[in-house]
Amino acid sequence: MMQEKSYKILFLGRMFLGLVFAYSGYTKLMEPVENFQGAMAAYEIIPYGVIPLLARIIPWIEFVFGVFLLVGYMPRVSAAVLAMMSWSFVLLILATRFMTGALPADCGCFGEGSLLHFSPVQVVCMDLINVFVGIRLALLKDHPFSFSAFFK
Amino acid sequence: MKINFRSIRVGILLTALLVTSVLVLRQHRQVPATKVPAAPVAAVPFAPLAKVKGPDNAPVKIVEYSDFECPSCRVVQEYVTELFKNYPGQIQLTFRHFPLTSHKWSAYAHQAAECMNLQGKFWPYHDILYGKQNQWSVALTPPLEFLTQSAQGLGANMDLFAGCMADVAVTREIYAEKETGTVVQVNATPTFFIGEERFVGPKEVKERMENAIRKIVGLPAKPVVVEPSTPAPAAPLAQVAAIPSAAGEKKP
Repeated sequence: MMQEKSYKILFLGRMFLGLVFAYSGYTKLMEPVENFQGAMAAYEIIPYGVIPLLARIIPWIEFVFGVFLLVGYMPRVSAAVLAMMSWSFVLLILATRFMTGALPADCGCFGEGSLLHFSPVQVVCMDLINVFVGIRLALLKDHPFSFSAFFK
Repeated sequence: MKINFRSIRVGILLTALLVTSVLVLRQHRQVPATKVPAAPVAAVPFAPLAKVKGPDNAPVKIVEYSDFECPSCRVVQEYVTELFKNYPGQIQLTFRHFPLTSHKWSAYAHQAAECMNLQGKFWPYHDILYGKQNQWSVALTPPLEFLTQSAQGLGANMDLFAGCMADVAVTREIYAEKETGTVVQVNATPTFFIGEERFVGPKEVKERMENAIRKIVGLPAKPVVVEPSTPAPAAPLAQVAAIPSAAGEKKP
């Protein structure tokens, strides 16, 4: 049986993860898609051909699953998706650093007009936390204050 | 396995609500890709004009998508000038704006260039922008003084120029032109097209474009000299006033 304290921490974790991704997706969706394409192109290992497609899909996934997690709709699936995305960002940053020897100054995780701007190193740290929180949330059966609780 | 239809319905509704809200918000709150310099001067009636160099009957029609603040675009100008010199009367070049949002003064430069285009002075102004890119692109504030002085130096009508610099219709036209590039998947500058064939960055222009031209004009191909140090194309809209490096442009 999980302790109440752990529940509270995981609830806060859910809010954090959901907010980060919902905000990240929202800021990108509110801007011209070229901004995000440019941010992606700065990671030189992503093939040019897939950038336009990814730049159009990723913000929607971030936004929709971020909000899903915030309101607690399919929290386990949403947490798993966001954890996977966080992990792929970590891998992307590490691979770029390893293969090109350089990293862009701004991670491009949030829109250009966003209030938040992180360097890739800062984002790796945050994403590792996100992966951990996401996995914990995906493994958690009951999510307090969630939509899913209504459908039981 | 029991399917919870109520949950699925709620999911669909929630997703539809989210997508609709984003689309509605996006329509009402268009974040401008660039800032247009505001000037208290009356707008000039604007009709877009093509920026074309070379004769209409030239067998080789080149379309260039370029950004004035991108160092690779500056480098490539040298090769393009050389091509015009080597194949006189054979080439027609059409310039299309592709200002990268990551280049902070790019929008100003493109607006100014388009304003000079209205006065029939696009190409000399284009040459100044690339020739002195190192001066204006590093400015800490919008390089309006440089742009104005350069326009003045070319004998532009400064009232028209000032009005045009504040004209949103001109900005719209620039971005409409950029959109034509986005449609054909331009995602790095400079990108050149000869028909369907695409050449991205100075390296490809230098190594492949001349032979593509020679093929059209019926000349035998030249042996290609590969120079590894040629700068790579600019990452589109990467959030920087680009710094050229061996690997290409990077954010600062």
